[in-house]
Amino acid sequence: MSKKPGAAQALHKVIMVGSGGVGKSALTLQFMYDEFVQDYEPTKADSYRKKVVLDGEEVQIDILDTAGQEDYAAIRDNYFRSGEGFLCVFSITEDDSFQATQEFREQILRVKNDENIPFLLVGNKSDLQEKRKVSLAEAQGRSQQWGVPYVETSAKTRENVDKVFFDLMREIRSRKIEDKAASNGRGKDRAKRKKKKCIIL
Amino acid sequence: MVPPPVVTGISPKEGPPGTRITIRGEFLGIKAQDLIGLKICGCDCTLLAEWKSPNKVIARSGSCKGRGDIIVTTLSGGQGTSTVQFRGYHETIGPMKESAVWVEEAPVQSFAWGRRALSPTNYQQEDPLGLSVEGNVKKFPEDELFELYGDASGELTSEKFHPGMFLLQHHHATSLDDLKAGLAYLRRKVNSQKEGQLSFLKANVGSVMEQLDTIILLKDQFENDLKNYGTNPMEQLETAIKESMIEANKLFDDILARRDRADATRNALSVMHRYKFLFCMPINVERNIKNGNYDLVINDYARVKNLFKNTEVEVFKKVLREIEYRIETLREVLRKKLEEVPFSLEDQKKIIRNLINLEAEGDPAWDGIVSYANHLEKSIKTCTTEYLESESREDDLKISLAIKSNVSTPMSIKQFKLTKNEENNTPVKVQCIEALCDIVMEQLPDLWRLGQSYFTGQLHVTVDAKKQRPFKNLVLSSIQNAVNAMKASCDSSLEASWFLYSLKRIRQIYASLIHLDLPSDALDIFGKFIFELRLQCLVGLFKQTVDKILLLKCKETWEIEYLDGDGGITKMPLYFEEMVMEVSKLARETAIICGPREAPLLENLNHQTLYYNEIKATFAAFARCLQQLAFNCNEDIIDDEFTMVPQLTSSSTVYKNKDIKPHGLTWEQRLLISLSNIRYTLKVLLPRIEENLKFQGYPDLSTTVGYNSDWTQLKTLDTAVLNAYLERRCDPLVGIIEPNVYIGNLDWNSNLQIVHVKPYVQEILANIIAVHAEVRHVSPCLLERVLSHIVESVTEELARLILCISYRFSSSGIIQARTDILLMKKALENYCSPRAENFLDEALKAIPQPVTKEDAQKIDMILTKVTTLMQLQLSCLMNNIDNVNTTLKKIGYNQLTAL
Repeated sequence: MSKKPGAAQALHKVIMVGSGGVGKSALTLQFMYDEFVQDYEPTKADSYRKKVVLDGEEVQIDILDTAGQEDYAAIRDNYFRSGEGFLCVFSITEDDSFQATQEFREQILRVKNDENIPFLLVGNKSDLQEKRKVSLAEAQGRSQQWGVPYVETSAKTRENVDKVFFDLMREIRSRKIEDKAASNGRGKDRAKRKKKKCIIL
Repeated sequence: MVPPPVVTGISPKEGPPGTRITIRGEFLGIKAQDLIGLKICGCDCTLLAEWKSPNKVIARSGSCKGRGDIIVTTLSGGQGTSTVQFRGYHETIGPMKESAVWVEEAPVQSFAWGRRALSPTNYQQEDPLGLSVEGNVKKFPEDELFELYGDASGELTSEKFHPGMFLLQHHHATSLDDLKAGLAYLRRKVNSQKEGQLSFLKANVGSVMEQLDTIILLKDQFENDLKNYGTNPMEQLETAIKESMIEANKLFDDILARRDRADATRNALSVMHRYKFLFCMPINVERNIKNGNYDLVINDYARVKNLFKNTEVEVFKKVLREIEYRIETLREVLRKKLEEVPFSLEDQKKIIRNLINLEAEGDPAWDGIVSYANHLEKSIKTCTTEYLESESREDDLKISLAIKSNVSTPMSIKQFKLTKNEENNTPVKVQCIEALCDIVMEQLPDLWRLGQSYFTGQLHVTVDAKKQRPFKNLVLSSIQNAVNAMKASCDSSLEASWFLYSLKRIRQIYASLIHLDLPSDALDIFGKFIFELRLQCLVGLFKQTVDKILLLKCKETWEIEYLDGDGGITKMPLYFEEMVMEVSKLARETAIICGPREAPLLENLNHQTLYYNEIKATFAAFARCLQQLAFNCNEDIIDDEFTMVPQLTSSSTVYKNKDIKPHGLTWEQRLLISLSNIRYTLKVLLPRIEENLKFQGYPDLSTTVGYNSDWTQLKTLDTAVLNAYLERRCDPLVGIIEPNVYIGNLDWNSNLQIVHVKPYVQEILANIIAVHAEVRHVSPCLLERVLSHIVESVTEELARLILCISYRFSSSGIIQARTDILLMKKALENYCSPRAENFLDEALKAIPQPVTKEDAQKIDMILTKVTTLMQLQLSCLMNNIDNVNTTLKKIGYNQLTAL
């Protein structure tokens, strides 16, 4: 009964972003509960948390499923602040949603003020290849431009669903280790980080 | 044992009280009844919770505030935990606040997640066999059911209920024992219902009795009625109803009548309101006319006409008639306005358009044009007459003041200008021209444009092409009028500068008229006038110059300026040149220069002759001026003159005299200076001016008739002045020769020792040297001309004197005479004309040849000696000035050694 997560247990905070209807909630629910919801019900802001085993280590993942609708754009800033990693989801069947990722990326970078925030570009609905509007090359081009990985998923077939969450968690974890090191040997590492940034740029 | 529930997800994670929350997790109850507790943020929400599946519960948040866990309690698993937290907050949602709250509108029963989300308690019918359906996992395939029973139904409530189907559907897997038990249960139930009929009556005996009583009462009442009213009460009823209807109607008659009236009034009012526009129209029209909003009136009029033109309604017709009347008056007003003028072009056009829009008869545009033209003509006429009048009264200041006060005349502004100008001494004629220019400038373009827009159809009238010609004539005649008026005021009495001024103004109009695209004949009228004006200007300018030249003599200072090779001149020729150049330049820049659409002025031979005459006149004037300068001498100079003559021998005195009174020159000097001026003018100035004029684009002067024969009368003057000078100089000189020759009883017969030439020779030479000096001082160029004349006269006199000797020469007399003449010849050889030489030779011939050889030698000897002695005098008469200098030096040296 008293299975409360220990203080030592790592918690990775993941935030789902993307336009409305691209399948953020579907991805989350698929990941969390192995179910695929067909009915569309706009999300406001949902919170999920569960234990997972990441590379043999038991960690907790906290998923904040945000609203894609433009109505909630104003309150996004608040949510973003608490995120440690972002899954930026778009639908490969909808070009507008792909274009919107640019805005989300910008908003995240602005709020987090960090170019290297763990970030995955996710093209959802890969099962609907016949309705594809965003080409693979196009999406990969953008991901390369941002310096982030690009993964295509399908919440329906569960393709790559676990992969995106785990990949992101790994990024978050390595990032945290890096930050810890940075807080130990301050200035040096900070310079290093900056340096790295320059390389990416 | 089932593990305790764990909540791992909520949607949404925050919200105000009443938010519909989807709670997800594990072990949330194995069935709806299993869920026995739900706490969100400490608030018990069990009542609002709806179990969906072991993984999902949908609930509504209670009035909790702040962050808190979601605790699910199940029968099977006990109290659970939560990994996520819900945040409750209170929010007042107003119109000004952006709301991020999901306002739930969907019914509680939703088909979320594709499950049959029915609340089990409400909608599941209990099994009629009293058997639990749990565990009926395996269902009988629907297709087989369909095959077996067709369209029958397994539903208890259905009409096509088939027990077999029901059993297969619901109890396919139930054991036979269970089914038997169920049958027993069902039977029991049915039996209990059958027994229930009697017990039902027993239970409700009170109400059954009451019903019976009521039925008996009803029967009594009916029988009673039958007794009272018979078997058929309908007729009575009918009459009663009718009566009551009439009564009722009576009650409402008054009200109805009033209502009808009210309706009628309302109708009338609504009609009034609907056609308010029409009824208000007359007043509106009047008001708008008063305010000058003609466009509005026209608009309204057009609208009314459109709407009500064919109306049958009497009232409308009446109103229309009234409007028509008002519009007619407006037309009249506009027409009058159009005739009155002056308006700006735009106004004019507007009025015309208005008239057209008002469907006035005739051709208002054309009327406007005609009246405009008339107005133009009239204003030109009034302008001229006014100015002419004011000119005739020019002297009378009072009248001009009266004009000033007479503001009511239409031309009052111009009047004012006129009086103002009078103070500035602008001639009235010029003012008149100016005013005319203003009128033309202002009105003609407008007239033309009006016409243009008429013919191009901008005025929205049917263009009458036949009117092109009359219009052109109108324009032409008005231009002709203006030009005539201007011509009348531009007569020759004006000064040249005013001519230029007028020319400038008129050219301005001309330019603006050219821009108007006027027909060429209209422009030609103007062009011709300008041409004439230009000619007048040219003539005027030259006349002015002539006058100025005549006044030049006052400017003469007699100060001599020396020019290389041209001798000394005064400023006069330069002044003259300057004036001619100035006037030619001015004329070129104003009169000669061709404006747009102007013909070159001096192409015509006649005009060339005019120009030549003017140039000639200027030269003649200069000649006259020089003549006056040369011959009009002051009295005091004449007085001086005689005292000067004896002093001629001493040139230094002359200079001294000059230094003392620079202007008080002797007449001879002035004659000389004039001579030099004339010479300079003829030789240098005239060609230069000619060249310059040619350069400036004037016709060549040398082609002028009579150019070569003293065209400028300067040559005549030249001769006259020279003669005067010679007369003045020669006469005394020649006159004193004879007395000098015989001074001291000269006798060619005496036998005196001869050592020197006779004094008279020296005197003659000295005098000639004095003249030479005088002339040279003014202009070396004149030396030859003047001196040759003088030498001629002197030699003539000498020859005369020698020839007159009647007695015999002694030998020494011969020597003396010969020496004298020879020396003279030698001294004057530079200035001897052939005639003078002749005279000298004649004199020599008259003197006998020397007697002996020694005498001849003696002559030579004396000559050499005298030449040496008189070297200074002789060299004075040489042309070369250096010669004189060296001689002077030599003499000085000789004298020094002699001392």
